[in-house]
Amino acid sequence: MSEPVSQPVDEYLEAEVQRLLTEHADVAEQGITIVRRNQTLVLCGEVESDHRRDDILRLVTARFPGVPVHCDIGLTRTHPPMDAEELT
Amino acid sequence: MIRVAAVGDVHLDEDVVGRFRPALERLPDHADALLLAGDLTRHGTAAEARCVAKEFGGLGVPVVAVLGNHDYHCDEVPAVVQVLEGAGITVLEGTGVVVDTVAGPLGVAGAKGFGGGFAGRCASAFGEPEMKAFVHTTQGIADRLAEALAGLAASIRVALTHYAPVPDTLVGEPPEIFPFLGSYLLGQAIDAAPPALAIHGHAHAGTERGTTPGGVRVRNVAHPVIKQAYSVYHLHGGSGTDDGTRSGHERTGHRT
Repeated sequence: MSEPVSQPVDEYLEAEVQRLLTEHADVAEQGITIVRRNQTLVLCGEVESDHRRDDILRLVTARFPGVPVHCDIGLTRTHPPMDAEELT
Repeated sequence: MIRVAAVGDVHLDEDVVGRFRPALERLPDHADALLLAGDLTRHGTAAEARCVAKEFGGLGVPVVAVLGNHDYHCDEVPAVVQVLEGAGITVLEGTGVVVDTVAGPLGVAGAKGFGGGFAGRCASAFGEPEMKAFVHTTQGIADRLAEALAGLAASIRVALTHYAPVPDTLVGEPPEIFPFLGSYLLGQAIDAAPPALAIHGHAHAGTERGTTPGGVRVRNVAHPVIKQAYSVYHLHGGSGTDDGTRSGHERTGHRT
């Protein structure tokens, strides 16, 4: 098995990941922010299920195996509102 | 006073079904109608629309929706609309409806909207046919939204879009992508009415509150922005043009 090809964590990679997350049929996420921090890709944002967060991480690490990835994606809360806004 | 609940960008599929339902079961205690601001599905398939129907159908209050860009992705819009309407969810696109709530008639005009940007940083219909088509698409949608708003015979009216009508509610998104998130043409259509409230989604990293140049309150209800199952707005009166032509027939869910 060959070694993963090292890929610089630069803006071309950032753009590739952004498009991958939007255009990949199993993911289709436009709301994930990609931050480059010390040669690590940090994925930020919120999704609707744990399953989707896991899919995103799996997809990015599989496509770019030599790139360190940190996942900081949360689950959007679905509790009822505590209050209402009065618009007079 | 009419209590309006709203949320957008819920991106439903099998893995999300049931997440919203506990909060939705209590919705009639908090709101008289629910507005869905587009991106109801992940890819816009009929199967995903059935998940939306299951989650947001049969709530005991009128539910009115527009579609978002995700709902167009698989080119199954007619099937998606059919599934949603089969579950009692009214889907608007350049159209309006006056729904009969327990608190009185609520007029809603809706359209998906489209991009183009905002004053000083907007696209123009010039040059390549693709650029002209882009701007003309938004202009056509905005024109139909203005017509739908003007045709609503209700004293309390709301404009419902997926794309943003103002840049205020996009703050938090990279400014470079504002032209992909909304258009001033939608704001201009809203100000021509003007309704009591304008609801939109699409900008997950945006801001909840904004105002049109004409003074209409704008709320970005994208789920990651409001961070709860839905937000509720109490509308105390119409700031728009009540033409006094309401009739019993029009109050029963008549489309305009």
